[in-house]
Amino acid sequence: MLTLLEQLDKGTLWRSPGGIHPPELKSLSNQSTIASLPLQSRFVIPVPLVGQQATLSVKVGDSVLKGQPLTEGAGFIYLPVHAPTSGTVVAIEQHGSNHASSLPVLSCIIEADGLDTWCELTSSKIEQLSKADILAKIKQAGIAGMGGAAFPSHVKLNPASEIDLVIINGVECEPYISADDRLMREFSDEILTGISIIHHLLNPQRIIIAIEDNKPEAARAIESAIRRSSLPNDMIRVTVIPTKYPSGGEKQLIQIITGKEVPSGAIPAQLGIVVHNVGTAYAIQEAVLQGKPLIERVVTLTGESIGKPGNYWLRIGTTVEDALSQVSFQPESSQKVIVGGPMMGFALADLNVPILKGTNCLLTPSQAEIAPDPDEKACIRCGECAVACPALLLPQQLFWHAKAEEYDKAASFNLKDCIECGCCSYVCPSDIPLVEYYRVAKSALKNAAEEKLQAEQAKIRFETRLQRLEDEKNAREEKSKQAAAKRQANMKSGDKDAVAAAMARIAAKKAQAAEGITADPAATTPDTTTTKAAIDATSAKKTAVNAAIERAKAKKAALATQSQKDNQSDVATVTTDMPVDTIDRANDKKAQIAAAIARAKAKKAALASDSSATNDVDGVQTRDTVNEVNPAIEMDTTIAAIPVDDKKARIAAAVAKAKAKKLANSAKQEEL
Amino acid sequence: MAFKIASSPHVSTTLHTNTVMKRVALCLIPGIAVQSYYFGYGTLVQLLLAITVAYLAEAAVMKLRNRNITATLKDNSALVTASLLAVAIPPLAPWWLIVIGTLFAIVIVKQLYGGLGNNVFNPAMAAYVLLLISFPVQMTSWVAPQTLTVNYADMLHTFNSIFQLNAGYAADFFHLAIDGTTMATPLDTLKTDLSMGLTTTESMTKTIFSGSVGEGWFWVNMAYLVGGLVMLKLKVIRWHISGAIVLTLFVCASIGFLISPDTFVSPIMHLFSGGTMLAAFFIATDPVTAATSPRGRLIFGAMIGLLIYLIRTFGGYPDAVAFAVLLANMCAPFIDYYVRPRSYGHRVGN
Repeated sequence: MLTLLEQLDKGTLWRSPGGIHPPELKSLSNQSTIASLPLQSRFVIPVPLVGQQATLSVKVGDSVLKGQPLTEGAGFIYLPVHAPTSGTVVAIEQHGSNHASSLPVLSCIIEADGLDTWCELTSSKIEQLSKADILAKIKQAGIAGMGGAAFPSHVKLNPASEIDLVIINGVECEPYISADDRLMREFSDEILTGISIIHHLLNPQRIIIAIEDNKPEAARAIESAIRRSSLPNDMIRVTVIPTKYPSGGEKQLIQIITGKEVPSGAIPAQLGIVVHNVGTAYAIQEAVLQGKPLIERVVTLTGESIGKPGNYWLRIGTTVEDALSQVSFQPESSQKVIVGGPMMGFALADLNVPILKGTNCLLTPSQAEIAPDPDEKACIRCGECAVACPALLLPQQLFWHAKAEEYDKAASFNLKDCIECGCCSYVCPSDIPLVEYYRVAKSALKNAAEEKLQAEQAKIRFETRLQRLEDEKNAREEKSKQAAAKRQANMKSGDKDAVAAAMARIAAKKAQAAEGITADPAATTPDTTTTKAAIDATSAKKTAVNAAIERAKAKKAALATQSQKDNQSDVATVTTDMPVDTIDRANDKKAQIAAAIARAKAKKAALASDSSATNDVDGVQTRDTVNEVNPAIEMDTTIAAIPVDDKKARIAAAVAKAKAKKLANSAKQEEL
Repeated sequence: MAFKIASSPHVSTTLHTNTVMKRVALCLIPGIAVQSYYFGYGTLVQLLLAITVAYLAEAAVMKLRNRNITATLKDNSALVTASLLAVAIPPLAPWWLIVIGTLFAIVIVKQLYGGLGNNVFNPAMAAYVLLLISFPVQMTSWVAPQTLTVNYADMLHTFNSIFQLNAGYAADFFHLAIDGTTMATPLDTLKTDLSMGLTTTESMTKTIFSGSVGEGWFWVNMAYLVGGLVMLKLKVIRWHISGAIVLTLFVCASIGFLISPDTFVSPIMHLFSGGTMLAAFFIATDPVTAATSPRGRLIFGAMIGLLIYLIRTFGGYPDAVAFAVLLANMCAPFIDYYVRPRSYGHRVGN
């Protein structure tokens, strides 16, 4: 840094690449002193931040004083706007903006009362103010960068990091414009006072006032003002730089003065450098010392269609129409009215738009002066644009990709580092409006980035939702698994008990119904009960038939419970993924059923050995039973209910018993 | 009232494409003049033919493409293409040669690729190569310098030769041509002699070399060099491509010549014979088909210089300008992709 400071003190200049030398044409407007225009009757003050960071402090019909704030708000980068004169708020409505898009923006329309009465201003001395007070005064005065970008100045005067170098930009490299030139010539002491406030706030090691060599009077004026000022003369100097467009661009000026490049995507403060415009320094001085808010600025009104070109103090909010009507504006057919200079300014379609804090020039060229835009021709890749580009880009490649709408490829050629200075379009032999292509590509990329961001957020939302659903499903499954396990555990005791209880009830009923039957041994298991019942059945036929009916009923009931149980256990099986078990179990069941049938058959054969005819019939019945379990029960019951034949009834009873056994077995199996 | 809307910037230079092209064509004049002085009116006739055919062809394609005919013709790019081809082919070549070449250059190489700014290959050189490969006899029968021949090709001879008006006369002239009116270029002679085992010193004792690089050729190249320097001065072209070609060719030729002066051609011969200067200043500098960044252009030019040397020295053709330019044209997009300047605020390697 020490060597850099020495070089700064010597006034060493570095080369900034590219750049052009368009005709300057500043003498059209810089010959006379800054003049004032008669007070206009109507002012349009845009209040774009209302609804976002600010609220209106006036309403329609309110009378306002000159310098009275029209908005209130909070937030670090909030800036108030002020009434440019005393009068009445006649409307608060959407009004065409002074912007390339001319999209309407919420604006306060103020009708002047002609008195131009100031509101109460509090003047102060720097020594009495703390840094915070000074910053607050600058913010309350609504001071924005007056070089064009109109960025809130108090933000740049309150940086997060240490500032080593302050560059005061008096370069004014755009052709035609001479507002800063005249301001430096006529108000050099005020500018120096503003610079001393900046010095007080930032305490940099050096302050460089950069002025192009086409403004020698301004440079001399500032140099003599430095000698008069209280600032230590060894830390502030005027550095005259060669005239070249766009040396006044912040990045280019830093490169010329320090040889450093602001890293892509960063701000100069990261290099310990801050750049302020001379006009801003003047406004800071007015705000801090006199308490005057920023309500007027110097605007260059120039071009051959203006009869009285020059620099004028214009109130912020004066419409372009009103301003031009005061300087003998005589529009030609297809007249261009350009806000800003010929290189970066934009043409207005409607003149009923206000002068803003960053408006430094209104240019109304004649057709002879600035030719109408010629037709775009084919790019011959001559590369002159690359030679002229101060950002060292390849404009022809950017154009090629931008025109093909391959915006991602354009981005890969560092489109975002384009400062839209217009040098490439200026030198283009094919009259291609290159900057226009870049603006379109930039906004397309911006839109694409926003869409991508939204899509990413949507994706995150979607994935989160999927995850949530998955989690919920898992939780549900876990819960049902636990519930199933619980049920199974309950079944081991409860269901068995229930079946046993049911059996006991049936047995009790049976015992009640069948008098004379040998007392059951208290039905320890359904097996024994039924078997015994079947054996007993031989003694009393009628009772046996009744008993059979009862048994059949019991069986049905048991079966119903069983099927329910089966269903439940099936569910459990599915969840626990044990199909093999189920199959095994089914096989077991089948085997048991077969065994039971065999047993029943054997019994039947033993019981009905005397009657072969009945035996045949029985055989058929038994077969039926095996084939279709459920209907067989019905059949059994029906058959058993008809006391046609004792033997038949007995056999049916035997079958029923066998079935009951089987059921009991399978129930046992289930429990296992 | 309505005010005119336009995008910034609102001012521009007055140097437009048509002016650039016109200046290129004008800067060819010294070369054409010297060439006509040494090799007869043939070149002028070829120029006239080429320009006429080029404009007609361009107008026809524009008509087919439903584009603005006059706006396209006014850009003067067809003029430049036609002129470059016309000065590159033998002055007494039959008329259909230049017609085929020009049609190929304008219709196929330029317009079928999308017109000015979109062609991949240099139209004049692509046409030259087409002709060289298709009609090698006609394309290698260069006129003997008029200062060396008794059979001075006057206006009548020239017209008869180019337009083949009188079949018998043409045949007669062709006969004459073999005897003395046409002969191989110095580079061609040297190449043939070297392949026959002669040393450069022995070969260069022939009259065609006039003791240096070849009668007439030196001055033709000097004239193109002057035209090229004027273009540099007018900022019609930048120095990178031309400088790289000349320097690379000189370095390569010097190395070869220092190693073996008897079998390698001298650097002066390389620089001031054949189409070297025409290629370096007028052909390779065609921005459409060249690399665009300064560094890319240095690589592009060096590549052409190297290729010219390699093909002249080791290849089958006596001159190599057209092949070298076309090969480099193919590499231009590749060079542009990999050789990009470091943008402001980007560190090297970013």
